[in-house]
Amino acid sequence: MKARDLFFWAGVGFLGFLVLLAVFGPTFRHHYLDKVGLPFEPPGARFWLGTDELGRDVFARIAYGARVSLTVGLIVQGLALLIGTAVGVIGVYAPRWISNPVMRLTDGMFAFPDILLAILIIGVWRRGMVPVIVALAITAWPGIARLVRTQVASLRHREFVQAARAMGGSTVYVVTRHVLPQMMGVLLAVSMVELAGTILAESSLSFLGIGIEAPDPSWGSLIDSARANMNAYPLLLLWPCLILSLSIFALNFVGDGLRERLDPRSR
Amino acid sequence: MRLARALALRLLFGLLSLVFISFVTFVADELAPGDAVTVLAGEKASQEEKDRLREELGLNRPWPVRYGEFVVRAAQLDFGTSYYGIKEPVSEILKRDLPMTARLALMAIALAALLGVGLGTVAALWENRWPDRLALTLSTLGVTVPNFVLAPLLVYVFSLQLGLVPQVWSPVRTLPDISYLILPVVILSARPAALLTRLTRASMIETLKQEFVRLAIAKGVPPVRLVFRHALRNAILPVVTAVGTSFGFLLTGSFIVERAFLLPGIGRETIEAIQQGNTPVLQACILVTGAMFILVNLIVDLLLPILDPRVREAQV
Repeated sequence: MKARDLFFWAGVGFLGFLVLLAVFGPTFRHHYLDKVGLPFEPPGARFWLGTDELGRDVFARIAYGARVSLTVGLIVQGLALLIGTAVGVIGVYAPRWISNPVMRLTDGMFAFPDILLAILIIGVWRRGMVPVIVALAITAWPGIARLVRTQVASLRHREFVQAARAMGGSTVYVVTRHVLPQMMGVLLAVSMVELAGTILAESSLSFLGIGIEAPDPSWGSLIDSARANMNAYPLLLLWPCLILSLSIFALNFVGDGLRERLDPRSR
Repeated sequence: MRLARALALRLLFGLLSLVFISFVTFVADELAPGDAVTVLAGEKASQEEKDRLREELGLNRPWPVRYGEFVVRAAQLDFGTSYYGIKEPVSEILKRDLPMTARLALMAIALAALLGVGLGTVAALWENRWPDRLALTLSTLGVTVPNFVLAPLLVYVFSLQLGLVPQVWSPVRTLPDISYLILPVVILSARPAALLTRLTRASMIETLKQEFVRLAIAKGVPPVRLVFRHALRNAILPVVTAVGTSFGFLLTGSFIVERAFLLPGIGRETIEAIQQGNTPVLQACILVTGAMFILVNLIVDLLLPILDPRVREAQV
């Protein structure tokens, strides 16, 4: 087995663990909000990863953070895929007076720094999970739209699409039955990498104190509070940093691996 | 003539982006639930008190009028006064915060360009050998490890364990400023440096394969001169454009770094403004940050024809 395959399967394994952690972890031992021990207890049999500055179970908080990250990430990527695909198809098939301004807007939003726009949206709206999801979805779709547009534009003139056209298929039929299924692999691979970006963005916002609201934990806010308590108990910093970095690595490896496996052109 | 027209178009596009940002900044506030008047007067204020305050702040006029006024005043760098504290003019706040963010960003982009071009060139010259693998591993780490993970880890090692640099910025400083800024700048430059490394490497490998390089080797040009005068000058052009786009990462990265190191800059001011609901300060911060991003990318685009005769001639 080559090193690349090893990384891919390690990534798949880690993501599986992450999903299990997100689904079952928060209900497993202690509640993530309860003060169940003394502050800064070291890792042990009772608290696998120790306790935080208020005596809450770090494992439970990390696990709940995984749930937050995956929920936000999956919803945002779902929305981005829906909007991005629709806009990308419009960019190719709609008449120019519609597609031109739409794609200009997409390019403009793509160039604008994501976090800045998200901060603006959250700043004037409110904090919490819903604004974070909306803000990140608004910044995530232009990337997908640009990808879909180039893919659809290149598929449009392939024989099987032309044939479906010639047999009298309507635009909607041709796009949904012949063009889009061709792109599933690429979109899935890209979504994995984009998911890493979304999880990072959510953690960044929570680190800045404008994302998921305390006392609910997110990996970003866990890192921030561990940073604040670094002088007293630096070990607290290790766990959220570790799980976040590993998740980003895993998603990138899996995304790259999927692209190689699903996109025949990159073989 | 065509070059002039292309430049004018680029300038117009920059201006349009600026209008777009100002509009988004303004409208975002209009659409937001909650009201400045309620925040200022308090929940318990009577309707009359609220009306008077609304009148005083000029919030009772229709929005196009207020947008026009917002733009005209923003162009004169007048963003109103802060809702809270001593209600000082927002422009004063910006004047105080901007130098820190600008200093961070400029130092970080300089370091990133130096590191990126250096590492990328080394990687390309020793393609597929250990310097190349080292550079690629470093750049993968730089892209994937988020800066808010990097920041506390580096602070732990270099401040807490080794005691080389202070942990955070402080209003009273006993050491020269640079010792407080070195960690933030390194962290801020990590991601752009990693991206520039990859780009320089790819561009340099491409350039080294070209005939004029082979000719230069055949003609006996000394290696150092070959790399710097012949290859790098050609390979650097796509990298210059990327420096502009990296600036976007820098601006958002400075939010993180300013929080992690308590640096008094635009990023920290923005977050504080959000947490207080201080709309004028928030609007001004976002507008200024966005304008800086547009301006830097504009400068980079205008610089390209000066650096690259091919771009210059293609458009003439």
